[in-house]
This record gives sequence, C-alpha cells and structure tokens, in this order.
Amino acid sequence: MNLPSAIRRYAEHPFRQAVGILVLAYIVVVWVVPVLPGSAIVPKSVVLQYMVTVLVGVLIYVSDNEERWHRFKEPIQAVLVEPRLKLVRAAVLAGVTALVGLVAYGQVTTSVAAPPNLRSIHPAPPAEITFRGKAITLTGLENPLRQHTDSLAAYLAEGKRVYYQNCLPCHGDHLDGQGHFAPGFNPLPANFQDNGTIAQLTESFVFWRVAKGGPGLPREGTPWNSAMPVWEDFLTEREIWSVILFLYEQTGWKPRTWEKTEPGGGSRETGGGHD
Amino acid sequence: MIDVGAAVALIVMLPSPASRLPMQDTTRGKAVYVKWCAGCHGDTGAGDGVAAAHMLPRPRNFTGGLYKIRTTASGQLPTDADLLRAIDEGLPGSAMPGWKGRLSDAERRSVLAYIKTFSSFFADTSQHVVPLKFSSPPGGGTGADALKVGRQFYDSIGCRKCHGDQGRGDGPSAPTLKDDADFPIFAADLHQNWRFRGGGAVEDIYRRLRTGLDGTPMPSFADLIDQKFLTDQELWRLAQYVRSLSPAAPPEVRDVVHAPQIPGTVPASPDDSTWARVARYWFPLVGQVIHKSRWFAPAVSGVWVQAVHDGKRLALRVSWDDRTESPDTAWLKFEQRILQTVAGDDSGSPPPQAEPWPDQLAVQFPRRLPEGSGGMERPYFLMGGATDPVYQWRWISRPRHAFAGLARGIERFDTLPGAPAGQATYDRGEWRLVLTRALATPDTANEVQLEAGRAIPLAFFAWDGSSGEHGSRMAVSTWYFLALDRPTPPGVFISPVLAMLVTLGLGLVVVRRAQRRGGARHIS
Repeated sequence: MNLPSAIRRYAEHPFRQAVGILVLAYIVVVWVVPVLPGSAIVPKSVVLQYMVTVLVGVLIYVSDNEERWHRFKEPIQAVLVEPRLKLVRAAVLAGVTALVGLVAYGQVTTSVAAPPNLRSIHPAPPAEITFRGKAITLTGLENPLRQHTDSLAAYLAEGKRVYYQNCLPCHGDHLDGQGHFAPGFNPLPANFQDNGTIAQLTESFVFWRVAKGGPGLPREGTPWNSAMPVWEDFLTEREIWSVILFLYEQTGWKPRTWEKTEPGGGSRETGGGHD
Repeated sequence: MIDVGAAVALIVMLPSPASRLPMQDTTRGKAVYVKWCAGCHGDTGAGDGVAAAHMLPRPRNFTGGLYKIRTTASGQLPTDADLLRAIDEGLPGSAMPGWKGRLSDAERRSVLAYIKTFSSFFADTSQHVVPLKFSSPPGGGTGADALKVGRQFYDSIGCRKCHGDQGRGDGPSAPTLKDDADFPIFAADLHQNWRFRGGGAVEDIYRRLRTGLDGTPMPSFADLIDQKFLTDQELWRLAQYVRSLSPAAPPEVRDVVHAPQIPGTVPASPDDSTWARVARYWFPLVGQVIHKSRWFAPAVSGVWVQAVHDGKRLALRVSWDDRTESPDTAWLKFEQRILQTVAGDDSGSPPPQAEPWPDQLAVQFPRRLPEGSGGMERPYFLMGGATDPVYQWRWISRPRHAFAGLARGIERFDTLPGAPAGQATYDRGEWRLVLTRALATPDTANEVQLEAGRAIPLAFFAWDGSSGEHGSRMAVSTWYFLALDRPTPPGVFISPVLAMLVTLGLGLVVVRRAQRRGGARHIS
C-alpha cells in the first residue's frame, strides 16, 4: 500500500472530509487572503461569517445522501457512546466547555478601541472654488497647460521640481504614498500608482484637492485627520497644474476627461485608464 | 584615504562616461536614473537634485565614489552587491526608499551600472573590488557577560565620545561632527536600530565596525584587530552590546494608549518604579511640512508613552531621545550648520541665526470628548483651528515648567489658569517627562474631562531647541487615542462561568441521550 492511496482512503471518510474542509477554509481566510495583492487582514467577525457559511455548506453536503450522513455521524456517535472512548469523550466535553468560557470572558472584558475611521476617499467636489481670490469653475475644466503642446516639456520639468520640493516627503519617490514622513500620518498619503486615485479622477478634481488640501475637505472626508496642506498658500495656479501634469506623466495614468455635450447640457466625466 | 585633488583632475581629464565604459550599455540605466533618481541625486549625480536641500542626511553624491555602507575595507570602493543592496532595500532613517518591487530587476541593475559612471574610480578596472571576509557571530550567547565585554570596548575604543554614555548620540564630540562635504551629521542614536542606514541586525553592526562609514567621522575598527588591541570575537561582543540597546523588534504603532487603574496615587516622578510595570507605546513623529514655515529635518523621530490613573488623576509619561538638554551653547555651531543645510520656506533670505532655543513637548486633546458619528469627529490634528481650538499640555525645558492652554492653529496659544503638574529628568540623551492632572476639572468648557472607558483623542508635538526647532519648526504626530481602563470588576467572571455550566450540562445531556439510544439499539 503506497502513501497516496493511504491518504486517499483516510480522506474518503465524510467526517474527515468535513473537518479537512473547515481547517482548509480557516487557513485560506486567515493566512492566505491577507497576502493576496490588494487585500488586507480579514476582520474576526468576517472570519466567523465565512466559517459559518462553509459549515452550512459542509452540512448540506454530508446530509445530502443517506449513507454519507450515516457514515458522517459514526465517529461522533462513537465518541458519545463507546465505552473505550471515555477519555476522548471527557476531553471533548472539557474542551468545548473551556472554549465557551474563554469566548464569554473575551466578550465581557472588551477594552476601548479606536473608533472606526469612516472616511469618504473621493468626496464630491464643489462646482466652483475660489483660488487666491479668483473664482475657478471646476465642472468641465481641463488642465489648461495641455493646450500649450510646445511648452509641455517645460511645464513637466516645473512640475517635477514642485513635486520633489513639496510632495515627496509624504507621497514618496515612487509616488506610491510611501515617503519618509508617510508613517506619521493617518490616513496615509494617497498612492498615485494605485488605480483607485488619480487614474479615477479628472485633473480638475486633483486641482481642487491640491489647492484646498485636508482643511478643504467636506465633513465626510474627515478633514480633521488629513495632513494634506492647503497648497494655494505655497504654490501658484500654474505650479499646481504643472505638478498635476507630472503626476500623470510619471505614473503613466491618463486623467479622466469631461465628455463635451451639446449646448444646454452640462459635461460628464468619462473613463480614464492606464496606457 | 583617496586624494580628492587627484580625483578631480582625473574626472576633468577623462572623456565622457559612455566612452569610458564601452562594454556596458548605460542608456537604459540613464533613463531610469533621470526618471526616478535625479530629483534627489541630481542630473550629474552630485547629490544636488531639486529636493536635496529638503533632506538631512543629504542624498548621496555619486561623483566621489565614496560610500558609507560597504562590505569592503575602509577607503575602498563598494561592491556591486553593496550598491544594489542600498538600491533594493533603501537606507532606513533617510529619505532613500527601497526600490525592490518598485523597479524591475533589470531596471535596478541598469541604474546601478549608470550610477557607477558618475565616478572615475569605478572605471579603473585595475582596482579589483573585493568584499571583506566576515566571521560568524561567536558562540556563548548574548547574556550579561557577553554584553559586559562589549560595553568595556564601547568605552575603551571611544564609541562614547560621539555616541554618548548611553548610546543616544549625545557624546561630547557629537556637536562637532560633519561629513566630508561639510554637512552636519548626527552620531547615530543606538537605541533606534531600525533607523541604521546599513541595517539594524547584529551582523550589520559588526560589518559597520569592520568597514567604517566612509565620508563620515565613523571609522573602521579593523586596524585595532590588526594591532591586537581587541580580538574579532570582542568586536562581535561590541556589536552585540550595541544591538542590545534597541528593542528586540522595531516598535509597532498601536492606536490606543491603555492607562491601567492602579491602587494608591499616580506617580508624579518619571523615575518612579511604577513605570517599569506599565506597557509603553511608540508614536512616530515627522516633520511639520504643512504650514509655513515648514520643517523638513525633525530631530525627534518619535515618543514612548505610558499612562496610569488612580480613579482621580491621570499620569502620562512621555520619554524621547534628544541629544541635548537645550538650550546648550555647545551646540550653537551645530545648530547653525543645520539651519544652513536644510531649506525652509524663506529661501530668499539668509538662513536664520542659531539661537539657544529650549526643548519643548506638547500633548494635545480635543476640548471635549467627541460625541455623535461614532465619536470620530475631532478638531484639526495640527493644533486645531481658529474656530475649533484644541486643549494642550505644554512643557518647556527652560525655565522648566508645564502649562496648559488652547491652541487655535500653530500660531496662536492662549494659556489657561489650570496647569498639569510636570516633572522631567534629562538623562544622557533622553528626556523623561511625567504630566499629571485630575481626571475631572472645573473648567469643563475648555479642559478635556478624562472619562474612563472612552477613546480620548490625543496627539504629540516635540521640539529640539539645539536643532533650531521652535514655533512651526517641529515634529508632529497625527491623532491617536488614550483609554483609561477600569479595574476588572469581580462580576466579570459570572457570565463566563454561567456559560460554561450551561455548556457542560447540555453536553452531558447529549451524551446521556446518545448512550441511552445506542444501548436501546443494541438491545433491539
């Protein structure tokens, strides 16, 4: 008898299959999912939900067939009645009791936790802002520097200088929000390499966020936490448009653009993307 | 030592980099360099990119071929593997990030080849660069005896002259230190190994002792082994001693400082034995780069915080590493060099004159605990605003005292009559400060009422006067939380015990029933 067939025979039993599936599901949810790209640690309550779902699925599977159900119950029945398994029976009873006690103790002694940081990542922008006393209509606004195709290289160079002298400590050399000051802030600085930030936004939205910074966020953007400075205090309008050019050039993302509609209608945003 | 004059002459005489290294195609490396590196290191590799003046330490100047982190002997060029390690892993404690995972293998290798073209020393192929052979850590563990040997050599070979008696970078020579380019340089704080440029493992420390950090005042101690002043094993002991000064693992940032309730009264002294039994929490601080005038070179990289309460008063202990008990005139020249090196927002005007500023610390709370929307709304983290002030405890090193007040932004601070009690100790590179205040105060409109069982927002700000820090030039943190824990009530055990009894009872019933049925089946 070789090993694989031994394992197969061992695993043929529906009870062992059920236990195996539960253990596997737990490993995947707790240890495998967090290491997947773009994923995060699964909260305990969600782990419980997953495990209950898997358990229901397993029970449906084992009870689906009369013979399988019977075989599934055999080891449980044996532990409950067999005189020779008296020790196992006592251990299972004691173990379950201790587990319930521990869970109940954990429930009654919950300590104070930080309140959840419910934050709207891309709150709706205003239609118009005042930039150093000058009214700027954001709706339908494109980066004005893009019209000057012959000066684009100079604007990009200026944008690069502005980025390295101002944005780099937080947003980082790779524009991925991991600058050397980033760990000091919460929320973390925006990651421009991610497809969920500037790739999803019009340049006018980015202009608004740069010009008005954290203090200019609406309430749902938790303005009290954002460390983004109010850049209109530091940079000119042209410097901000230049650094926006640089952000898209350096990451390779294309800004979301406004779809021009006939007179009478407004303009709508239309999709951006990676080149 | 490399003759700098000769090196300059060599560079001038030599033709362009491309023709010097005809074997290697550096076109691709140049493209990567220009896109990702030149902003700090400069187009010509001279460490003078547009961001350079906003950094301390400054970006590496590649034209001199001089590198701190090597596996080669002092005065030698680094190996390709040394350079690649710096590119891949970055240099902790500086602005240099790790590029592994950000640039492809091919890109990192090609940029390495390009960086070498900046210095003629690499073109000289007659110089064969070989890494030193490093021994493995000796046996015998890192117990008290081993560390004692390490400490003996720490004193006898002069480490303490720069790094200080306790290793916090506060030695008597520390205020005189500069690197080969005349930039001010700090003796490393040996209690923060996660910020060592070459890595914080004992092996890394041993290697730095063998190779030295070229271009800085940190020498190689290899010659002391040759002179039989100490053995290789004793150098390992020294590395083990240095490693033992930092925590076993880099501090993890947790959101909530838990203040346990203690019997008796809270300790008012920073050196009370109570503090040895209370968990400490690390909060990183970074430069204030949000409001004018910004500060890109914060001296305090973080604070350790502990808290206890006795049901009536809270005691908060904040300790942080600071090389000077400011104001300290011995550091005025060093302060001037920092102010000349690090760009500020007033770049048109000459750098400010060094002044003997004091050290300061601020602990910030909202005026009232947040209500509604899940208790998450707070004043602006950077010292509140004109219409939404924050309540702060402030402490200043000279004249040494603590006070409280309302901050309405960085510029405006209005002192309140009620002050926390403050006691501070300066001990060889470390401030230990305890601030105590009653949980409840009469001025409920302005002074936060510290309630047990609530998440109380708090934030920290620190100034090192001898680094020129005052006003908006400071290190800042974001909002964290303080929680005053209640003592475990005796009733806490009732419900778990009840739950266990019910479980056990049900279990026994299930077993009894199964056995009865099983028995019946056997009979039939």
